[in-house]
Amino acid sequence: MRILVILRMMPDPASELELNEDGLTLDREWLDFKLNDFDDQALEEAILLKEATGAEVTAVGVGEGSRRTLQMALARGADRAIEVETDPDAMICSRTIAKGIVKIIRDENADLVLTGVQTPEDLYGQLAPYLAAFLDWPSLSGTSHAALSGNSLSVAQERGGGRTANYEIALPAVLGVQTASKAPRYVSGSKLREAAKTPIESAEIEAPPLAPSGQLVELAAPQSNGGGISLGSTADEAAARLIDILATEA
Amino acid sequence: MRDTAILWALTGSAVAITLWRSRFLIAPLVAAGRPVEDRTGHPGRRLSGVLAAVGLHRKLLQRPVSGVLHAMIFSSFLVLLTAIVQAFGSKLFPGFSLAAVGGETWFRLMQDIFGVVMLLGVTLAIWHRYYLRPARFRGSNNADATWIYVLIAAIVGSMFMESAFAIQAHGSTAWRPVSGLIAQALGAAGLNWPAGEAFFYWAHVIAILAFLVYIPGSKHRHMFLAAPNIFLRNLEPKGMSPAVPADREQPGVNHFSDFGWKHNLDLLTCTECGRCQAACPAYAAGLPLSPKLLITDLRDAMIDPSCTHEPIVGGAISPETLWACTTCRACVEACPVEIEHLPKIIDLRRTLVEAGTINPGMQDAFTNLGNLGNSLGQPSRQRARWTKGLPFKVKDARKEPVDVLWFVGDYASYDPRVQEVTRKIAMLLHSAGVDFGILYDAEQNSGNDVRRAGEEGLFEMLAQSNIDALEAADFNRIMTTDPHTLNALRNEYRYLGANYDVVHYTTLLAELAETGSLRIKKTAEGGTATYHDPCYLGRYNGEFDAPRTLITSVGLKLHDMPRCRENSFCCGAGGGRIWQDDEGVVERPSENRIREALDIEGVSVFVTSCPKDKVMYSAAVDALGVGDRIIVRDIAEILEIETDNNTAPSADAHGGNERRVARDRKETS
Repeated sequence: MRILVILRMMPDPASELELNEDGLTLDREWLDFKLNDFDDQALEEAILLKEATGAEVTAVGVGEGSRRTLQMALARGADRAIEVETDPDAMICSRTIAKGIVKIIRDENADLVLTGVQTPEDLYGQLAPYLAAFLDWPSLSGTSHAALSGNSLSVAQERGGGRTANYEIALPAVLGVQTASKAPRYVSGSKLREAAKTPIESAEIEAPPLAPSGQLVELAAPQSNGGGISLGSTADEAAARLIDILATEA
Repeated sequence: MRDTAILWALTGSAVAITLWRSRFLIAPLVAAGRPVEDRTGHPGRRLSGVLAAVGLHRKLLQRPVSGVLHAMIFSSFLVLLTAIVQAFGSKLFPGFSLAAVGGETWFRLMQDIFGVVMLLGVTLAIWHRYYLRPARFRGSNNADATWIYVLIAAIVGSMFMESAFAIQAHGSTAWRPVSGLIAQALGAAGLNWPAGEAFFYWAHVIAILAFLVYIPGSKHRHMFLAAPNIFLRNLEPKGMSPAVPADREQPGVNHFSDFGWKHNLDLLTCTECGRCQAACPAYAAGLPLSPKLLITDLRDAMIDPSCTHEPIVGGAISPETLWACTTCRACVEACPVEIEHLPKIIDLRRTLVEAGTINPGMQDAFTNLGNLGNSLGQPSRQRARWTKGLPFKVKDARKEPVDVLWFVGDYASYDPRVQEVTRKIAMLLHSAGVDFGILYDAEQNSGNDVRRAGEEGLFEMLAQSNIDALEAADFNRIMTTDPHTLNALRNEYRYLGANYDVVHYTTLLAELAETGSLRIKKTAEGGTATYHDPCYLGRYNGEFDAPRTLITSVGLKLHDMPRCRENSFCCGAGGGRIWQDDEGVVERPSENRIREALDIEGVSVFVTSCPKDKVMYSAAVDALGVGDRIIVRDIAEILEIETDNNTAPSADAHGGNERRVARDRKETS
């Protein structure tokens, strides 16, 4: 089995996000980028599948600073790594990523594509479905477990209220991973250094530009309108404070 | 002739049995690799260390009761060796006698006196072990100790009885006062036994040989191993972690043969005295680590011929034990026979990290350190943000030469509880006219505790990145806020070929106060403070006095806690503990320490000189709810500058360029 896992770099939520003057884009120049958390889970699921079945794992990195992440993926157990060259100053939409990566998936003869269920820049989790549509493969999102059984894949999908749905899905397929079967492992610095010796291939997205499906009108920081106040830790205290507020401030 | 043959046979078989019993002790030494560090150079320094430790009982006498009783037993042992030589020599080699050098005169007198001293020493030991019962003996093998007391009593008792019956049969009591008294008592009791001398001679000989045969399985191996183990101690700087041998495939240790033979010799030398256990903050906190049991568990696993305890991690030693260590080095400092607990813990932690078995807090910290260069998950580009509140711009050492390069460190840079202190230090340096600068976001965590947590690869990445930044800068010396950083830059970076002149900010400030560049106001006349020696400043790097000088310079009276200087008690944050949660902790070491300070009459200020200490002890004071009785202050916070407008900041402080010292830096390989 050949598994391809897509790793997207996202602005570090700990850094301060600033908007460009156009009001439409994020100022990415001074941002730290880190691997999307769900993609980290997808990578772990891919490595777990490799350990269980002997599959070959290729990691594909998208976005600024993905080289470092790809090295980490190699140290964790990926067999190969491909860095996709992208415009460092812009957010790329999932549709464009999907269109571009389809060619790599076909070239690599992948049987299974894993990626994170969503990213801060793709809150609707569109990458997996777009890929499935372009490839005409089955797809499942929000998965919490995947295992090979015969020629198909048995997949668990998180539902609300603690319920889990179990699927059998034919390969080839695309999964949007919510959590891996086990928490992502730690990979030591010495393994990272060792993995740094493995060359990272690069690929360009050659897909023809897509007509925009919509127009971004404005990007804005959330409005902050003061924090909440604590009324106290006991019911009596809270009641007294509330009466006080009603009497003096309302 | 017959006696000679019998004694030869007895002695020969006892020696053979002893060697046979020792085979599992010798095998691990032979199988183990070479120590990375030099263990035989500077023989003079090594020998003087042995003489101080063995001859003067330097560490042993820090605990007076056991120190004195050990001195009694030890000195008696040396004297009674002559009796043993006489007993065996006279029969093994007919005609052998020490009479020419006083064997029958003052030798006998000394033997009589020290025989009594020995018995008194053993009595004191029994009283100490079974009546006083110090907590440090918890987990030690008391049965073993008891056997030793019995054997010593048998050896000395039989010696006296042999001597008494000899007097009774043919000798005089001259030179043998004690034996003479016993002979008198025997006579008074009507005990006349012509064969007594011969009987107790053989009893004496058999007791000695029994002792010999017993030793290989006993902590009393230290009779033979303590001195060599002290001689072969590590003379490298205390702050250097064990290097990874070039031929090791992975950084860690899995088998006893992966340790250098000196580490295995350490295990055999342990006397189970428990001084390390008594000093250990992790043990005091209730965590599953006793440095003593770590060593004895390793020892028992090593000499078990079945080898069922390997790989060591998860076999002989559990991961929880290894993660409990704060790397404060109190155990190594306390050990009278120079056992090195820490390098073993670090090497075993490396195995855990390699296998990826680390707890979530450490995983987060390591991941942050790898991605952002700091453990706190803060953006690397905001490292120098603390400078924003300053009335002047801090020089960028990446762009212009500076006299003092200030390596600020993670907590001093990012932690809001410490940033105020960091700014205060900047103000003090500025007003003293120091030409200083920082590396801004080219600085990363120094990797001191990363290395001690066993993450060798990450340490090398962080260290190399810092060394690259330092090589590109132009400075005379480095000042650090954090003692951990000080240790890494001064000691650990040598591992990568970088040697720097590094001082702690308290050292520099004390120096500036001494030369008059920093004029400290006496603001706290009459108050009483205590000072906590940070492990990596004091015990590791020997700076005890500069902080104390600064504290007294503001007019505070300094009252040290019982555990101070080399014996300081760790706050519990070191060696990666600050990244772990408190699971299993019964009493936090930091709270234990605040209680110790509160026990001192009149102390209202708890002074620290490490950013992590400020965080740890402020939290401890809050948790104990004693904020009204004691406040935690960094040294920089208590220093106020004399603002006499008539004197401008002294001009010669700017003369840094003239004072430039040659930088002792090797090319990085």
